[in-house]
Amino acid sequence: MPDVPDAIEAHAGVLQSDARVLAECAERLRDIGARLAGDGAAPEWLRETVDAHVAACVTAAADLAEAATRLRVHAARPAR
Amino acid sequence: MSDRHHPGVQEQGGPEAHAKLLRDAARELADIGVAIQEASAHATAALTDGAVLKALLRAPARGYRAQRALLRAVTDRKGLGYAVTGGRLGSLAARLGGMAGAESLAVLILATSLRLRITAVTLVHPELADDPLLGRLIEAVGADRDIEALRALRALLKDRGAVRTLSGLAPVFGEVLALRALLDENPLNDTAAWLIATGTGYASADPVTGLSNRAIAVLDTGEGAARRLDLDPAEAARLGTRGSLLDFLRNIGVVGASGRMLIQSVAGPDGVERHVVQAPGMRPGRPDNDSPQDLLGAFSSAVLDSGPYSRALVKAVDDYGIPPGAEIALIGHSAGGAAIMNLAQDTRFCARYTVTHAVAIGSPVDFKKPADPRTWVASVTNQHDIIPTLDGQGAGGCFDLHPDWYVVDYFDSTHLFPICHGIEHYTATIADDLPEARDRIDDRLTPYRGRVTRSQAYLLFDRVPCPDGFPFLTVPTYPATTSGGALELPVRCQEGSALTAYFAADPGMAATLLRGTGLGPAVRVAGRALVTVHASANRRSSLGGYRQVDVGIVVHDPWRPRSLRVWPDLFRRADHRRSGSCLVGSVVDTETVSAVAPEIWGCEPSVAALDVEVTAGFARVVAGGPDDRLLTFRGSLGPGVPAEAGDMVCYSRRGDTTLRSCVQTRGRGRVHLAPRARLIVGQGAHPMARHLRALGLDGARPLLCLSAPAHQTLRGAGVPVRTI
Repeated sequence: MPDVPDAIEAHAGVLQSDARVLAECAERLRDIGARLAGDGAAPEWLRETVDAHVAACVTAAADLAEAATRLRVHAARPAR
Repeated sequence: MSDRHHPGVQEQGGPEAHAKLLRDAARELADIGVAIQEASAHATAALTDGAVLKALLRAPARGYRAQRALLRAVTDRKGLGYAVTGGRLGSLAARLGGMAGAESLAVLILATSLRLRITAVTLVHPELADDPLLGRLIEAVGADRDIEALRALRALLKDRGAVRTLSGLAPVFGEVLALRALLDENPLNDTAAWLIATGTGYASADPVTGLSNRAIAVLDTGEGAARRLDLDPAEAARLGTRGSLLDFLRNIGVVGASGRMLIQSVAGPDGVERHVVQAPGMRPGRPDNDSPQDLLGAFSSAVLDSGPYSRALVKAVDDYGIPPGAEIALIGHSAGGAAIMNLAQDTRFCARYTVTHAVAIGSPVDFKKPADPRTWVASVTNQHDIIPTLDGQGAGGCFDLHPDWYVVDYFDSTHLFPICHGIEHYTATIADDLPEARDRIDDRLTPYRGRVTRSQAYLLFDRVPCPDGFPFLTVPTYPATTSGGALELPVRCQEGSALTAYFAADPGMAATLLRGTGLGPAVRVAGRALVTVHASANRRSSLGGYRQVDVGIVVHDPWRPRSLRVWPDLFRRADHRRSGSCLVGSVVDTETVSAVAPEIWGCEPSVAALDVEVTAGFARVVAGGPDDRLLTFRGSLGPGVPAEAGDMVCYSRRGDTTLRSCVQTRGRGRVHLAPRARLIVGQGAHPMARHLRALGLDGARPLLCLSAPAHQTLRGAGVPVRTI
C-alpha cells in the first residue's frame, strides 16, 4: 500500500500539471477566437462565448494550482 | 490525407472555406473540452481518494484546507463549473448535478463546439439559416431554452409535418440532439452526447431519452440464416449483366427492401472470377419480424459489431460456394451498408475471403473499421438523409474519422427525407450529379468490372426458419390425381382466415334439402334447423390462394342421432366428431379448386367472385359479382369470447356416395353471440342463393359466429361413408 503522503503528493503533481493544461487551454481558446475573427468566419455570438471560456479556464487553472499547493502542504511530513 | 469529398466549390473566403475554418475550430474546441474533462476527473479523484480523506486525521487543519481547495476546484462556477466526474462517487455526483442543471466548463466548451458545427452547416446550407422556424429551434436548443425549443419544434411540426421537419433538420440532426442532451437535465443521455460531440464513438444511447442503444440492439437476436431464392423472371431480367457501381446499385433496387440480398460473380478484366455481395436496406413492416432487415436489425447493424443481418450475409456467402481466399466486394445500402461493414470487420470472415472493397450508400458506418487494412472503403451520403446520421455523425461532423476512406457527403435540397434515402434516388444522383465520385469508385472497382457469370438471390432470416406451418402442417402428404388436375393431399393452408355463421332456418326446407342423402335429421334450435354459412380466405395454401363459401345444414351423427349430446359434439375436434354440416351449396373463386373439389370432397363448387374479410370484430363476405350477387354477409360481429378456432366436419355427396371430410384448424378464434351482421341473399337462380332463400335466411341475423382472423388448416380427402 503506497504511503499516504506519497499518494497525496502524486495527486498534487497531477493537479499542478492540469493547471498548466488549463492555462494552455485558455491560450488555445484565445487563438481560436482571434483566428476566426481574423478570417471573418466568426459568428456574432462567438467572441463573448470564447471570452467566457477563457476566463473560466484561467480561474480553473488558478483553482487547480491552489488545490495542488494545498495538497503538497498537506502531504509534507512534519519536521522532527 | 483525407479523401473526404464535399462536392462544392471551396473559394477563399467563401462559405465552404469559412465552414471548414469553423469545423477545424469545433474540432479543436472538442479537444480542449476533453482535456478539461480529464483535469476535472483528476481533481475529483483527489477529492474522493480514501487515502487523502484518511490523512485528515493526521493533520486536520491542513487536510481540511486541501479538501476545501479541491472541492472549490470542481465546483467553482467561474472555473471548471460543476465538474465532479469519474469514479463511482464522481459519476453519481455528476448525474445528480446533471439533474440539477449544473454544467461543467468541459460541457459548455463542447456545446460551443457543437454550435460552431451547426453554424458551419448553415453556411453551406443557407436554407437552414434562412428558415425562421428551423433557426428558432436551433437557437433555442443552443441557448438551453427548453420551453422555447419545444415550442419551436411544435411550430415546425405543425407547419411542415414530421417528414419535412426531419428532412430539414437532417444536416444538423446529430448536433442538435447532442447539444440538447448536453445541456438538458437528463443525466442518462450525457454519454451519448459526449460521444457525438467528441466523435469518439457511435451514439451509445438515444440522445433524447438516454435509453441505451446497445440495450435495444441486443433485442435483435438470431444466428442469421439464408435460403436460396429464384427471382421472378421480370426481376432477373433487370439484373445487371456487367459489373459496375451503378449496376450493383440498380441490382439492390431490383432486389429491394424485401428481406432478400444478391450475390454475383463477375469475370474481371484479368479473367479472374470475383464476387460481389449486394445488401439492400431495411424491410418495411413490423419493427421486429423474422427478417434481419427489420427496424431492429437496422439498428443493431448500425450500433453493434455483429448482428443477425451480417451473420445471415455470412451464411449466404458460405452457401454460394465462394472458394477460400477469393476476392469479394461488398456493396450495401442503408442498413445493408452497416451490415456489409460488419462483415468487413469480421476477422473470421476476412480470414476466409479477401474483402477488397466495401461501398456503403446512405449508411451509418462512421464507427466501423474493416478487419483487413487493405479493404478499400467508400461511403456516399446525402446530407438531408437522416439515416447515416444515426450513429451521431452527419454533415456537421468535424472529425476525420477515416482518413483512408473515400467519403462523399453531398447536398441536394431537391430531395426530402425519406425520398432522398431511397436506393433509386442515390443511384440516380450518383449517375447524374456525382460523376466524379462515380468514376472514382468505379475506377477502384475495376477488378469487378466484367461480365456477370452468375447471380443468386437469398432470402435472409434472423434464425433458421422452421418449416411452413410447423408443427401443425408437418404431416405426411401424397399426390392425388383427379380428372380436373393433380394435387397434393392433405391440402394445407399456412395462412388463412375464416368465419362460420350459425343461423336458425326453416326446418321443413332443411329436411327437404337433406332428403335422399341419408343424413339427418337437422340439428334443431327452438324448433328451427341449424344452418351454417362458412367462408374462408385461404391466402397461402398448397392449392394456391383461394376463397371458399359453403352453406351447410348441421346434422346429427348419421347413425346415432342424439338430440342433447349433439351440442358438445359440435365443438369436439374433427377427428372425434360425429355430427357435421351437410353441404348444400359451395362456391370457390379459382378454377383450380373448382376442378379438383368434386372428386376429392364431393361438393361441386361453382366459381364466382368472392371477397372474404374477417377481423376480430367485423366480417365481410361477398359472393358473386355486382350483377349476379349470391350473398352478402357484412357487419359488426360485436364482442367475442376468445376460443380455439373450430374444426369443421363436412358431409357431401359424390354421385350416390356420401363423403365425410374434416378441416382441422389451428389458431385463435372468437365466439360472437347474436352478432349484428346480417345475411343478404341475392335474387339469382344460383343453387346457393335459392337454397338460402328457401331456408328463409334472406335478411337473417346469425345466432352466433365463430371468427378466426388468422389460422392454419389441414383438409384431407373426403372418406366415403355408408349412410343409406
